[in-house]
Amino acid sequence: MSNVTPTSNGSLPLRRGEFETIAEGLDYAARGETGCNFFSSRGGLEQALAYRDIRERAVDLARAFARAGIPRGERLAIIAETSPDFLIFFFACQYAGLVPVPLPLSVNLGGREAYVERLRNMMMRADARLAVAGPELVGYLEAAAKGLKVDFLGAPDEFYSLPSEGGELRPLTSDEPCYIQYSSGSTSLPRGVLVTQRAITENARAIGQHGLQLRPGDRSANWLPLYHDMGLVGFCLTPVMNQVTIDYLASTAFARRPLVWLKIMSEHGCSISFSPTFGYELCTRVSGRIDPSSLDLSRWRVAGIGGEMVRPSVLRDFAECFAASGFDETAFVPSYGLAESTLAVSFTPLGRGVKTDRISREAYARSAIAIPANGNGSAQSSRAFVKCGGALPGHRIEIRGEDNEALPDRRIGWVCISGPSLMRGYYDDPEATRSVFTPDGWLNTGDMGYLVDGELVITGRSKDLIICNGRNIWPQDLEWAVESRCGVSPGHVAAFSVDDDEGLERIVVVLETRSRDAETLRAFSREVASVITAMAGVGGELVLAPPRSLTFTSSGKLSRAAAKADYLAGRIEDISGDLPAPASVEPEVRLAAGAGS
Amino acid sequence: MTDTMQSETDEVLREICVLLEAHNPNHIAITEETDLSADLNIDSVAAMDVIMNIEDKFEIDIPLNQVGELRSVRDLAEVVRAQLKDG
Repeated sequence: MSNVTPTSNGSLPLRRGEFETIAEGLDYAARGETGCNFFSSRGGLEQALAYRDIRERAVDLARAFARAGIPRGERLAIIAETSPDFLIFFFACQYAGLVPVPLPLSVNLGGREAYVERLRNMMMRADARLAVAGPELVGYLEAAAKGLKVDFLGAPDEFYSLPSEGGELRPLTSDEPCYIQYSSGSTSLPRGVLVTQRAITENARAIGQHGLQLRPGDRSANWLPLYHDMGLVGFCLTPVMNQVTIDYLASTAFARRPLVWLKIMSEHGCSISFSPTFGYELCTRVSGRIDPSSLDLSRWRVAGIGGEMVRPSVLRDFAECFAASGFDETAFVPSYGLAESTLAVSFTPLGRGVKTDRISREAYARSAIAIPANGNGSAQSSRAFVKCGGALPGHRIEIRGEDNEALPDRRIGWVCISGPSLMRGYYDDPEATRSVFTPDGWLNTGDMGYLVDGELVITGRSKDLIICNGRNIWPQDLEWAVESRCGVSPGHVAAFSVDDDEGLERIVVVLETRSRDAETLRAFSREVASVITAMAGVGGELVLAPPRSLTFTSSGKLSRAAAKADYLAGRIEDISGDLPAPASVEPEVRLAAGAGS
Repeated sequence: MTDTMQSETDEVLREICVLLEAHNPNHIAITEETDLSADLNIDSVAAMDVIMNIEDKFEIDIPLNQVGELRSVRDLAEVVRAQLKDG
């Protein structure tokens, strides 16, 4: 097996994102020796490809696409496994004038049908004419494509064997799209973010020059999935645009053996890696499997956090646990971003670590103002939120009120952003696009927060979206699945999440029923547990409630916000408490909450 | 099915049940019919733990495309047997 690609290029000068297109950036990176390394789930090197090798194979494939007569602008859907093939296809699209559409991977137990349905809706919405998946997953893709107008579908090798000689390169130009990313929207109505070449190059430049301040000697490690903006932009495209070597571990491998991530970083001297809070939490949880002093994490200068609410106590635990490995907690860099702005919006200053702003609970709840808590505010009267830094150069953040008016510092409202990294819109979905842009062209992120000392603080999401372990879950998807599995009519199920003081979310499902039959209720509990696990991959709580427990808006729509408020205030009666404990199944109908085992 | 095969099969099932006990807070009797997500407390994080432990125990790799098909203890046992045979 070959050696890993080097950390730095020999003679090629570092150019931090000074390119107009992805193809141009890869052309430049291919002149050096850096590249991508793929590690097995146990940490062994499986493949090493210099950017030069990736470019060569991508160009060859792009020629084959042209020779096959595939018109420019067509969409190519690809299940985004962390593999050389994904990179080669993604970049081949850039040279062939095609628009890649990365699709997610499923890891949930028993989640086959839900996964196929998701893939199918995404391919349909993107009107994909080509579809690719590795040999293990191509069967799912075939099932998902049934009845769709997909002209070419297969495993990578089938495409590689197409003749390429004489095929012309027709790279995507700076005013054209770069890719479509599904990171928001429900399963049935997924929203594909259309990211342009301009947006991605601007964002990669801002990240490289300002957010990470890349310098020779930097090396990155990544286990984040490449169908997620933090993985794709942060740890695939930004490194290419900045000629940085990446050490890849598949997300599925990380989930099984989190410490392999740290071992790779230690062994290869990586200086940059990101994770949602839960990734750090997983490592701490299994840290007993190794001796932390056997690792060297002293070169890790940017330990980024993004993708979900930043939970400071979890990060503190990680830093304590791996201090013996030379990990320095000032390496933590909380950040904020979203796919609708390509990826990054704000980074905290490097070398500072996690800083919180402690505010009064009462003013926060009553008048949506973030007033600093007095001196040593107790946990009951105050709550700490993490500062996520200021906007990247060229980008702006404003907090806006219900009438789109800009709010002053410390007033809580909608987080709105503008700048060159904004998406053009959701692909082929003008209505959804209109719903997120303000009349003056700013993007309303749907997140709530405030500004203080030029830094953004996120307090929560107003949208109904649930995020568990970094995964977006749409409540209506859960509700529909519960309704169909339990045979209850629509409008009798509400799904929402409640969070603890640090933003850790837990799914709650309220199901209205007239039944008092213990067997029926127990069957409900079983079905709901299985639905939540298959769709969300986490446990949850089921509340069996009498009819008319849920609230509807004046237009007849279920109000999840009201259901959540009623639940938190204890106004929803839970009839499961009346059930006699069964002999062989769970003694309680209430299910264990949270992702812990 | 020969006697040896039968006993190997039982051994696989027995080992799996032992590994699953860590995720059985309510101490139900685990059988082939037990549903991994509905009957046991196995979320996606725990699922990866289970899979890792099974892989290490039997020295096999469970392919990614099989995870979505695993609903019951029987499904799990069948995947392990298939991988043992291939290996």
